Amino acid sequence: MITVKNLHKSFGDLEVLKGIDATVEESEVVCVIGPSGSGKSTFLRCLNLLEDITAGEVIIDGAQLTDPTVNINEVRSQVGMVFQHFNLFPHRTVLENITLGPIKVKHLSEKEAKDVALPLLDKVGLSDKADDYPDSLSGGQKQRVAIARSLAMNPKVMLFDEPTSALDPELVGDVLEVMKDLAEEGMTMVVVTHEMGFAKEVGDRVLFMDEGVIMEEGDPLQIFDNPQNPRTQSFLSKIL
Amino acid sequence: MIFTIMDTAYIKSLPFLIEGLKITVSITIIGLFFGMIIGSLAGLGKLSKNKFIRGFWSVYVEVVRGTPILAQALFLYYGVSEDLIGLNITSFTAGVIAIAVNAGAYIAEIVRGAVYSIDKGQHEAGRSMGLTEKQTMRYIVWPQAFKRMIPPLGNQFIISLKDTSVFSVIVVHDVVFMAKEYYNTTFEIFETLVMVCLLYLCITIPTALYLNRLERKLDV
Ligand SMILES: Nc1ncnc2c1ncn2[C@@H]1O[C@H](COP(=O)(O)OP(=O)(O)OP(=O)(O)O)[C@@H](O)[C@H]1O
Ligand SMILES: [Mg+2]
Repeated sequence: MITVKNLHKSFGDLEVLKGIDATVEESEVVCVIGPSGSGKSTFLRCLNLLEDITAGEVIIDGAQLTDPTVNINEVRSQVGMVFQHFNLFPHRTVLENITLGPIKVKHLSEKEAKDVALPLLDKVGLSDKADDYPDSLSGGQKQRVAIARSLAMNPKVMLFDEPTSALDPELVGDVLEVMKDLAEEGMTMVVVTHEMGFAKEVGDRVLFMDEGVIMEEGDPLQIFDNPQNPRTQSFLSKIL
Repeated sequence: MIFTIMDTAYIKSLPFLIEGLKITVSITIIGLFFGMIIGSLAGLGKLSKNKFIRGFWSVYVEVVRGTPILAQALFLYYGVSEDLIGLNITSFTAGVIAIAVNAGAYIAEIVRGAVYSIDKGQHEAGRSMGLTEKQTMRYIVWPQAFKRMIPPLGNQFIISLKDTSVFSVIVVHDVVFMAKEYYNTTFEIFETLVMVCLLYLCITIPTALYLNRLERKLDV
């Protein structure tokens, strides 16, 4: 589903990604962990070209992102992205947040878009909030709306950048629950997260990033319980 | 007692001055309408990735903000329209253009600041679901930015309204022009000018009060 070959990304003189190779299979859930500043967000953002790629290749479902003839909006519409700070549109109701993409990108009618949105709201447990504005929701509710908003585009892949790290601890569970359901339905997911429980239970694979490269990767249980690389060991000993 | 408002010298000037006030308000409103269009283009132009577009609008903004509106009006009316292209536009039209061009530069900064102040996560959320740059601006960034523009735009209305007073030099028949005409025949200079100020205040004070309330309500 996703193939990344020798991906490099620099901001001016600062090289943030220094040659990343990775693949994500269909229906696989890959968790990305690593210290702050190691390039996790940048890596994720390269997967839907929110950052342009300095060198290397990213291929998503057959589309080569660096190919100038590729329609990037088309690719993005198939790659959902969930942000740490939700980024809901405050001037639109919950329902309007979710229907905007289907209406403007997929050209559905308002009614059709609503028929897509309402079951998704139900799925994330927020049917009663359809006409509320984001400001009136808790962080956990906002993030669930953000997930529903991404799902409304019927994406092939979902990218999550620390979806629970801006939440109060007691709200984390609901969001992880929704993500777990998604994984069980077979969604392909790349999740930057420090939620070890989630990674162990739901993740198929863990990538440990440090200083712009993938230092170690493997089965979540093996990485967390028996890391091989000394950098991984020292990182895990700090956060556990 | 000179200062009683019922003194006929004050009231008598009023019908005359109100004719001028109509012109003052018309020029301000029509001018700001076009100023809003120019200002939006300029403000977004200044945020463009293309450095020629950015450069062009920056020069416009700096030139207009760095020169007095009196000089701009004279330049437009006598310099450009009469001298350079020999076109005879009316003073009224020249006044409208002067306000549009002048306010456009200030509105450009209002627009630029408001758009820039919208969290860039909003833009990213739009783009990442497949909206084009234009759609993201139109449906996500602009509506939020516009809300933040309303108070400073109201303020610009007050400024432009007062700015039109210098257009008597290009023979615009605004309040100030009418006042001069009036006191040149009646010699009731003090009374007439008191009324001129009161007329301006009748518009500016309610506008300012309303803006204050709006600002609190919009919570921007
Ligand atoms: N737009 C940018 N311009 C310049 N430097 C940037 C930009 N975005 C990220 N960086 C730099 O790239 C490096 C990696 O950032 P990134 O956000 O990918 O790290 P991260 O692993 O996600 O960290 P965190 O866990 O704190 O979110 C950091 O040094 C950061 O300062
Ligand atoms: Mg990050």
